[in-house]
Amino acid sequence: MTDTTAAPAFRGASLTEPDARTRRRNAAERRFRLLGVGAVAIGLVALVILLGSILNNGLSAFRQTYITFPITLDAAVLDKQGNRNPEEMKKVTTIGYGKLMQQALLDALDEQGIDKGDLTDKEIMALLSKEAPADLRDAVLADPSVVGQTIPVNAFATSRLDGYLKGRVTMESATRDANISPEQLQLADRMEAAGLIEKRLNWGFLTRPDASELRPEAAGLGVAILGSAYMMIVVLVLSLPIGVAASIYLEELAPKNRWTDLIEINIANLAAVPSIVFGILALALFINTWGLPQSAPLVGGLVLTLMTLPTIIIATRASLKAVPPSIRDAALGVGASKMQAIFHHVLPLAMPGILTGTILGLARALGESAPLLLIGMVAFVRDFPGAPPQGLLDPASALPVQVYTWTQRADPAFVERASGAIIVLLVFLLTMNALAIILRRRFERRW
Amino acid sequence: MSNTHILSAFDRDLEGIQAMVMRMGGLVEAAILDAAEALETRDEELAQRVRAGDKAIDELETQIHAECARVIAIRAPAASDLRTVLTVMKIAANLERCGDYAKNLAKRSMVLAQMTALPGATGSVRRMAKQVTLLLKDALDAYIARDAAMAADVRQRDQDVDQMYNALFRELLTHMMEDPRNITAAMHLHFIAKNIERVGDHATAVAEQVIYLVTGAIPGDARPKVDSTTAGPAA
Amino acid sequence: MNDMRLTERVVTDTAKMTARGVQVHYGTNHALKDVDVDILDKTVTAFIGPSGCGKSTFLRCLNRMNDTVASARVTGKIEMDGQDIYDPRVDPVQLRAKVGMVFQKPNPFPKSIYDNVAYGPKIHGLARGKAELDEIVETSLKKAALWNEVKDRLSAPGTGLSGGQQQRLCIARAVATSPEVLLMDEPCSALDPIATAQVEELIDELRSQFSVVIVTHSMQQAARVSQRTAFFHLGYLVEYGETGKIFTNPDDPRTESYITGRIG
Repeated sequence: MTDTTAAPAFRGASLTEPDARTRRRNAAERRFRLLGVGAVAIGLVALVILLGSILNNGLSAFRQTYITFPITLDAAVLDKQGNRNPEEMKKVTTIGYGKLMQQALLDALDEQGIDKGDLTDKEIMALLSKEAPADLRDAVLADPSVVGQTIPVNAFATSRLDGYLKGRVTMESATRDANISPEQLQLADRMEAAGLIEKRLNWGFLTRPDASELRPEAAGLGVAILGSAYMMIVVLVLSLPIGVAASIYLEELAPKNRWTDLIEINIANLAAVPSIVFGILALALFINTWGLPQSAPLVGGLVLTLMTLPTIIIATRASLKAVPPSIRDAALGVGASKMQAIFHHVLPLAMPGILTGTILGLARALGESAPLLLIGMVAFVRDFPGAPPQGLLDPASALPVQVYTWTQRADPAFVERASGAIIVLLVFLLTMNALAIILRRRFERRW
Repeated sequence: MSNTHILSAFDRDLEGIQAMVMRMGGLVEAAILDAAEALETRDEELAQRVRAGDKAIDELETQIHAECARVIAIRAPAASDLRTVLTVMKIAANLERCGDYAKNLAKRSMVLAQMTALPGATGSVRRMAKQVTLLLKDALDAYIARDAAMAADVRQRDQDVDQMYNALFRELLTHMMEDPRNITAAMHLHFIAKNIERVGDHATAVAEQVIYLVTGAIPGDARPKVDSTTAGPAA
Repeated sequence: MNDMRLTERVVTDTAKMTARGVQVHYGTNHALKDVDVDILDKTVTAFIGPSGCGKSTFLRCLNRMNDTVASARVTGKIEMDGQDIYDPRVDPVQLRAKVGMVFQKPNPFPKSIYDNVAYGPKIHGLARGKAELDEIVETSLKKAALWNEVKDRLSAPGTGLSGGQQQRLCIARAVATSPEVLLMDEPCSALDPIATAQVEELIDELRSQFSVVIVTHSMQQAARVSQRTAFFHLGYLVEYGETGKIFTNPDDPRTESYITGRIG
């Protein structure tokens, strides 16, 4: 630089040496960057803690303690007529099966030479779940030919024993527990050593219905998963066509005036309405006025449809808007009608966006519990709903509601169950989100 | 309509070219007047200067041509700009021819300086030259002023030059008939007069370019011609 | 002005479309004021003028593309072969098959090259079978001077072509419905000079079959391709005439200012 070209006074003489102003600016930039990294780190830590605690609490729900022993199904007890007719056999209650099981368990202990200590037969039988005789009865009624044979039986252990094997219950806590004693646990230790007791993968957690307060080991998510699935079908079938049709009309065909503006604002507001309000609406309208049954997946689906519609409409309109107007011009320019332009060109291009929005809306509906509480899906439902369409009116539960119900229960075993249910819910949600991403990637087209 | 382009460099280009044409016009006028004076005063030195000066005129024409080509290439002139460039090229060519005539006049004046003078003839030539340069000057002024009326007037006044040429033609004829020894000088003078008359025609052409520049149309009607010499020797 | 015209410049003087007293309002904005134009048959007509002067608006009146703009109101009379195209009985869909349009940005459908060209004939039922459709596609692509470049990859996506090829594909698509008038809205503004030259050459060839109306911001392009030029300014049609006349000696000082690049 020559002397004749005067540099402005505020600029430093050297390029390699930043002046005070530049240094301050760079420092501010660094601070802001650190702040951002910090914020992300806090979020990540929170996520890790959340997932960690859920996985820590919930993964054990997928494994269950079983007591395995042979049982002779005495025909004289179970089938007095001897004709193997299930209708006749139903007269034998779970108490009858319970007696059989108690005898078989005691025999098995004797056979293995396990010291029963000072425990009474009843106390030994208490190691088994109260659900075990009922399961055995169901199995026999399903297949009467096994009567008279000796079969191995895998019976649920009581939740306290399950908790002992999972570390939830200790000898010390057992001394203060009315449901189990340290002596029973010592027997269990001996039975485990003999191979009578072991922890195994429990598919029942996903397939069995809910169980009562006293039998947490038997509780499963079957009804809840089925109920949620039914609701999702209802939501998809109703909200996708309605939402897409409404969006197309509003975006492409409707005149732009005060009425459409009003509708637009209301849709945006509906998306922000608290979900419990939808529940109240459903209770008042669907159940009280229309007389639809409580706890029915159809009603749940209708509520969730109302909730999902604004989301789908907003997503669909956004993706319709994202289709460049030049494509519409091109179609109209060669003489396509408005409908042809929309259905031949605009909609296919908007489809990935619409599907993504729909799936995300469904995912949100899947995780919703508040409105379902109001329409009675919180009820204790043991029976599986039938096949659709009639099944849509049968009482059912839903995954998030099941989580809610289980956390309300007193037995600590249900904490594990609730966490397990959350894991199942999260897996479904992640699967749906992944599906949304895959759809978008796959069908996204450049124009 | 504003007179300045949005692109001011375009204005500067056009102004530059037109200034060159004006300078060329000035040189040509001076050359014609100087040559006529050299003829009358038998000033061989002046005649020599005129002959040498033609080189500058030729160079200017080349330069104008190059500038016009450049403007057409990079500015893509349209409408009046296009007409400006086209007329500049034509006017430059006309002026260049006029420069050549002045040079030829100077050359012949050097030959004539060696001969006996024909009384009165050189004065007529000088008056004619004066009239023609006036025409040329007016045509160029009309160009600068974009004045079609003035240009039309120049076209009309070319008749005067033609008449002066006719008169001189008869005068020279008389000289030649009087004394055959005058023939060489008279022939030279006749060529000089014819050339000056041609300069008048070029001035008319310039005036026509002015009309085209202003109106967009070249005047089609036949210009009044008073050149009776082409009809053969006067009876 | 000059009596000796080159034969190439000779144009027919039968009007294909006539516009009389056309006014366009966009809401409260008076976009086009009292425009009278005759679009001549088998002639390239260029509309020039500064941005917002109404030239594109008028172009879009000619195939009723303004119908798609809710706030647009068109009055006056536009006739095509003596039929009022704004007659309420006229279906704009049918009109647009006769008056094709090519847009500023090449906008092929995100489909195959074949489907792009075949779309118009398909929806208008111009072909009675696959063979006939194939033929229409081929002749259209040939007319658009694109056939040799794409004949081996008709199933490739149209969006994969270069900009100039895409624009020629759009022209082929417009040509495929056998229009009588082809409207082009700044068809070369997104193209490089070579592609522009190819499209211009194409426009000149298409002139033998139908009228072409082209809106352009490039005055040089208007001068190169058109036989007639209309200059729009502030919603008015200022001057309309033979292109050579407009570019050498326009009558209106506003035209002169615009085409010579003066501050008007």
